[in-house]
Amino acid sequence: MTTASVSDTYTPADATCRVSVENVAQKSSSSKASMSPSDNYYLARRRTLQVVVSSLLTEAGFDAAEKAAVETLTEMLQSYLSEIGRSAKVYCEHSARTQPTLSDVVVTLAEMGFNVDNIQAYAKRSQRMVITAPPVTNTPATPRALSTGQKRTHPSYIPGHFPEFPDPHTYIKTPTIREPVSDYQVLREKAASQRRDVERALTRFMAKTGETESLFKDDVSTFPLIAARTTTIPYLNALLPSELELQQMEETDSSEQDDQTDTENLALNMNSDEMSTEKENAMLQQNSGLSNSKSNEEPMIDNPYLRPVKKPKIRRKK
Amino acid sequence: MNRKKGDKGFESPRPYKLTHQVVCINNINFQRQSVIGYVELTIFPSLANLNRIKLNSKQCRIYRVRVNDLEAAFIYNDPTLEVCHHESKQRNLNYFANAYAAAVSAVDPDTGNGELCIKVPSELWKHVDEMKVLKVYIEFSLDQPKGGLHFVVPNIEGSMAERGAHVFSFGYENSTRFWFPCVDSYSELCTWKLEFTVDAAMVAVSNGDLVESVYTHDMRKKTFHYMLTIPTAAPNISLAVGPFEILVDPYMHEVTHFCLPQLLPLLKHTTSFLHEIFEFYEEILTCRYPYAYYKTVFVDEAYVEVASYASMSILSTNLLHSAMIIDQTPLTRRCLAQALAQQFFGCFISRMSWSDEWVLKGISGYIYGLWMKKTFGVNEYRHWIKEELDKIVDYELRTGGVLLHPTFITGVKEKETSAPHLHFSIRHPHTLSWKYYKMFQCKAHLVMRLIENRISMEFMLQVFNKLLSLASTASSQKFQSHMWSQMLLSTNGFLKSISNVSGKDIQPLIKQWVDQSGVVKFFGSFAFNRKRNILELELKQDYTSLGTQKYVGPLKVTVQELDGSFNHTLQIEENSLKHDIPCHSKSRRNKKKKIPLLNGEEVDMDLSAMDADSPLLWIRIDPDMSVLRKVEFEQADFMWQYQLRFERDVVAQEESIHALEKFPTPASRLALTDILEQEQCFYKVRMHACFRLAKIANAMVNTWTGPPAMKSLFTRMFCCKSCSNIVKTNNFMNFQSYFLQKTMPVAMALLRDIHNQCPKEVLAFILDLIKYNDNRKNKFSDNYYRAELIDALTNSVTPAISINNEVRTLDNLNPDVRLILEEITRFLNMEKLLPSYRNTITVSCLKAIRVLQKNGHIPSDPSLFKSYAEYGHFVDVRIAALEAVVDYTQVDRSTDELQWLLDLVQNDDVPYIRHKVLSMLNKNPPFTKNTDSPLCNEALVDQLWKLMNSGTSHDWRLRCDAVDVYYALFGLSRPSCLPLPELGLVLNLKEKKTVLNPIIIPEAGACGQETVGNASVHGLISGFQINEEEHPAKDSVSVGSGVQGIKRKAETPLGSPLEPGQVLEKDEDNKVKLKIKFSNSQEDEEIDMDSVHDSQAFICHQLNILERPSTPGTETPTIENAMISMPAAPLPSLGKESSSSRHGEHHHHHHHEHKKKKKKHKHKHKHKHKHDGKDKEKDMFTFTSSPASGRSLNSPSISD
Repeated sequence: MTTASVSDTYTPADATCRVSVENVAQKSSSSKASMSPSDNYYLARRRTLQVVVSSLLTEAGFDAAEKAAVETLTEMLQSYLSEIGRSAKVYCEHSARTQPTLSDVVVTLAEMGFNVDNIQAYAKRSQRMVITAPPVTNTPATPRALSTGQKRTHPSYIPGHFPEFPDPHTYIKTPTIREPVSDYQVLREKAASQRRDVERALTRFMAKTGETESLFKDDVSTFPLIAARTTTIPYLNALLPSELELQQMEETDSSEQDDQTDTENLALNMNSDEMSTEKENAMLQQNSGLSNSKSNEEPMIDNPYLRPVKKPKIRRKK
Repeated sequence: MNRKKGDKGFESPRPYKLTHQVVCINNINFQRQSVIGYVELTIFPSLANLNRIKLNSKQCRIYRVRVNDLEAAFIYNDPTLEVCHHESKQRNLNYFANAYAAAVSAVDPDTGNGELCIKVPSELWKHVDEMKVLKVYIEFSLDQPKGGLHFVVPNIEGSMAERGAHVFSFGYENSTRFWFPCVDSYSELCTWKLEFTVDAAMVAVSNGDLVESVYTHDMRKKTFHYMLTIPTAAPNISLAVGPFEILVDPYMHEVTHFCLPQLLPLLKHTTSFLHEIFEFYEEILTCRYPYAYYKTVFVDEAYVEVASYASMSILSTNLLHSAMIIDQTPLTRRCLAQALAQQFFGCFISRMSWSDEWVLKGISGYIYGLWMKKTFGVNEYRHWIKEELDKIVDYELRTGGVLLHPTFITGVKEKETSAPHLHFSIRHPHTLSWKYYKMFQCKAHLVMRLIENRISMEFMLQVFNKLLSLASTASSQKFQSHMWSQMLLSTNGFLKSISNVSGKDIQPLIKQWVDQSGVVKFFGSFAFNRKRNILELELKQDYTSLGTQKYVGPLKVTVQELDGSFNHTLQIEENSLKHDIPCHSKSRRNKKKKIPLLNGEEVDMDLSAMDADSPLLWIRIDPDMSVLRKVEFEQADFMWQYQLRFERDVVAQEESIHALEKFPTPASRLALTDILEQEQCFYKVRMHACFRLAKIANAMVNTWTGPPAMKSLFTRMFCCKSCSNIVKTNNFMNFQSYFLQKTMPVAMALLRDIHNQCPKEVLAFILDLIKYNDNRKNKFSDNYYRAELIDALTNSVTPAISINNEVRTLDNLNPDVRLILEEITRFLNMEKLLPSYRNTITVSCLKAIRVLQKNGHIPSDPSLFKSYAEYGHFVDVRIAALEAVVDYTQVDRSTDELQWLLDLVQNDDVPYIRHKVLSMLNKNPPFTKNTDSPLCNEALVDQLWKLMNSGTSHDWRLRCDAVDVYYALFGLSRPSCLPLPELGLVLNLKEKKTVLNPIIIPEAGACGQETVGNASVHGLISGFQINEEEHPAKDSVSVGSGVQGIKRKAETPLGSPLEPGQVLEKDEDNKVKLKIKFSNSQEDEEIDMDSVHDSQAFICHQLNILERPSTPGTETPTIENAMISMPAAPLPSLGKESSSSRHGEHHHHHHHEHKKKKKKHKHKHKHKHKHDGKDKEKDMFTFTSSPASGRSLNSPSISD
């Protein structure tokens, strides 16, 4: 009877139920049209919980309940049970196990302020109702998308409760399915279009953010030209190789073998470079000691521009 | 004749000898761009009554002059500031050229003249009589000099040194007078002491040995002390001051290089080659570098790329490059080599007079050529000689001849003797057109090469050695300044050395090429006489057209026959046209035999193409280029093809490539393609072949089979084996193929299909080249390559098909052009982020955009170019942009743009840009004298006239550029757009001499004018009345004329009343003549050019009094008046006032006057009026309604 009443109240609640289910379903990002097994499972569990709540209500002497109330209670119960499960899992993992034991649950319940001592008496109470197992019991298939290859089993010396090995693909070199593109033509094509796209995007961006000039009076966007900007020392930009080029040159230089003479020159140039910088230092600092040491280092170079600047003579008044 | 004079040794034109000069610049202010300093000249009088010392000085503000510590009076008079009197309405170039030549020679140090005349204080006269030394001390300053010294001051934060501000001296030929007073002659040598006080963070680089550098007392500045003990002429003195980075040459510690901050790595690379040049010159000349030190300074905004001065060279900073740059490397090395060659000949050995300049330019150019031969190889050398020869031949045939050794017989006007075809005088370097000057140098070294051909290189080098050792002996004679003239080289001295060393008489050669202008033009053809087995060669000469001369003498002809190559020397005589040359081989073919070439090589040839009857493979006229000539030779196409394939001389190959244009046949195509593929062939020949192949392909477009020319070749050489449309990643290690890779797409883009469009296939191919260009693995920069790919895109553009001149918009854009534009846009934008070396890509993009505009694909608009032409862009970019604007001006006839360009000429900060704008305008003039253009108006004439008359007095080169432009636009005679007839005829002096009454003189002028009777005069006469009332508002004109009138009153010895006509402009034209008369009556001389000079000087002198430019001290006017015995000049203010008040009163009289005068030439006027009435009608009507129209009724043409 009471069950019937619950189910009575239940039928009109179907709509809302479905709504909430749908919400959940949306959250779990499955399509509305076809129910996935995990949704089914979820739905069944929820329905069982509702049955439980209803029977508990009957047990407490309610004849009827508003669907919203039942719904709220179900929600509460679900949260409560979830929390128990979560905490129990945490406790079990804390003690380096994978399967929760009774004690984990007990500690959890104690932690949540539940008196464990009463539970046995409650379980054996007279007016309790037995509820049949939920109709759908197949566990949701864990997504196996990432499982590749055979999972390794634990060697004999590792106790079974230790976590399993992770999926092999995470630590094993997996043979790729597709050959990498090694076709020269495609590669060049790709590199070229990539570079072109980058360049175009970059220049378009620059053109969008800065001043532009246009070749067509009526249209300024199709062929935007970054406006010419004058620089104070134009020859620097025009003559000095850009960073990119310098970097490239270093790379190619190291790969080329024919730069012996270059390095020779470089060594010689380096000397003179030192000389000139030192000379500047000497001029700036008026450090005669430094210039002495310099002349010791390089005795053969005698260039008037490297000589230290003389201090003014004190003029005697006539 | 100069040569005779040379026999006696050097005679100084000055009554004194300069032995030593001190130049001390105490202060250089970069902020204000000013310089303060003094000079002290030590001179020995060579005449007892020396009481005036003439020196050169321009721009300098002179504060005081002291001679041996006594204050001395001085006058400053520079007729070149304003060549023709500014009131003058003369506008014809003939007049200007004469006046300008007169003005220049009036201050020419080579004739003992100068702008600055110092009076020796009377206290010293006794001293002078004893020929004792005089020390002339001059304090001067320069304020914002427009010539002589160039300040580069970047406008950023920081101290001047941090900003990279620098200053350097520059000039064209002898221009030292622009920055300190001196004897600005190449023939006045002295020793030098140079002192420059500069900011402590800067370096002053100058000539001679840096003795020491000393801090000033406040330690904020340094003084650089230089001593130049080798006697040197003032024009070879230079200075560069800036925060330079110093690099001592690692191979030669006496050589120091300087560059601007941050460029040191480039400097190191650029100069790393210099020691080899030194070694080469010292070896061939067997003579050490004459100076103790050598300095190269790389500066920004350089006037010329290379300027050589005693012991230092000032070069453009744009010559610096890194190791990644290919194209600039040989160019820079050539510049360095040129600079060094001029150290020996030009700086160390100086010239005696301008007419000897060719020897120095010739020798330095010649040894530079030898260096080229050694460094770049014989092919490059011969190719260069051919290029230079073609250039000079082209120039001479176009403009009428370059005279290396102009001799001037006094009393005869230059125009009649030496260069009647030119619009400028060749008497002075400062009146020469820049192009002429360039060609002059070119011809000089070619002639040196001819002399070498004649006397052998060994003797040639011995001559140089002898000249150098003579000079170095002389230079070490420290206190015997009379010996120093040994360091001066004259034509005569040079020839004497040659005959002493070689014992050969080269007089005919000199006479042909040096004393006379023009080149030889041969037309050759031949026939083979089978019976006699003789080659009948016919050689005609054209010696009547412009720039040609007749050649008589030996001429080498090389005939390649089946049995070998044979040289024949023909004697070209007056009237022998035909030459019979015996052949050695029988015409019968011997297929198995190899054919020996000139160089001994034996090759197999496929002889099927040749004529079965003739054993001749090819014939070459003057293969060694031992005559300055142009040869047009006719031989069959197969002969050219054989010549191209088998002749090993690059010149022959070039010639045959050139000739094959006339034979667009499959055989020519094959020959060219073969050459293209042949790796042993000289790369420049192959590059030339590319372009020729494109031309041939276009000529045979209807029969062409296969892929577009060069495409498969390019694919084979530069594209990937596996995928033929993709180019290999760049690797420019092999320069020959690099140059070919660069050139081929450019040539391919010139291909056209039957619709005269660039084939789609070619365009797609070039776009692919751009797309797949990958430089990541390359050791070298690909900026030039990419730039040439853009050039290729540009070349592919053909004129748009336009319907009813519709406005160009995006919608009707040709799809091909859209692709091109896309690339150009991307390139140009990328350049902002990653600029390429010398911004080559921007330059190419700008050119491309202009071509697209010009062909009507995109709207023609100069604003983009104008923004790129602004100061602050790299100079190459500016030039490219300006070129586009010039082109726009020409095509669209835009007054605004022309005005903008002319403003740039007047106001731009960079002298090089000013020069370039004018030379581009000259090359691509907006209109010419024969075309009618709305641009051609009186305002423009006035503006240009002003520009060359007074606006460019600070830069000889610029002034000559302005003259060139004026010539290009208006020709020699009066511009046709001017309504006023010219009256003053300077040349017509004889006529004037008979006329005493100044009143008649205007008439005489008019008469002379009419007798000239050329077409342009017609227009002028009828426009007469228009001009008279022309611009009543033109106050300046009438005011000026008023001054003139008063002046004349004061001067005229006859004391005649002021003639009424004076107010009118045409009278002013005559003022010059009046003055001539005046000076005549005073000096009682015959009028010749000299007195014209004097009078010119006199006029300008007066002008100076009225409006003193930047010179000199305040006390001068009075001194001047005292010194030159002349009626006191009227006060300018008075003159102006009175003139304006008189203006109204006099015009009536004037017209009356005119009626009378004009009667004489009545008929002529009528005639002319008829002639021109139609053209001028419009103008007349507009003017009749003007307020001054009343006067026009009285004007001569109508009153007649």
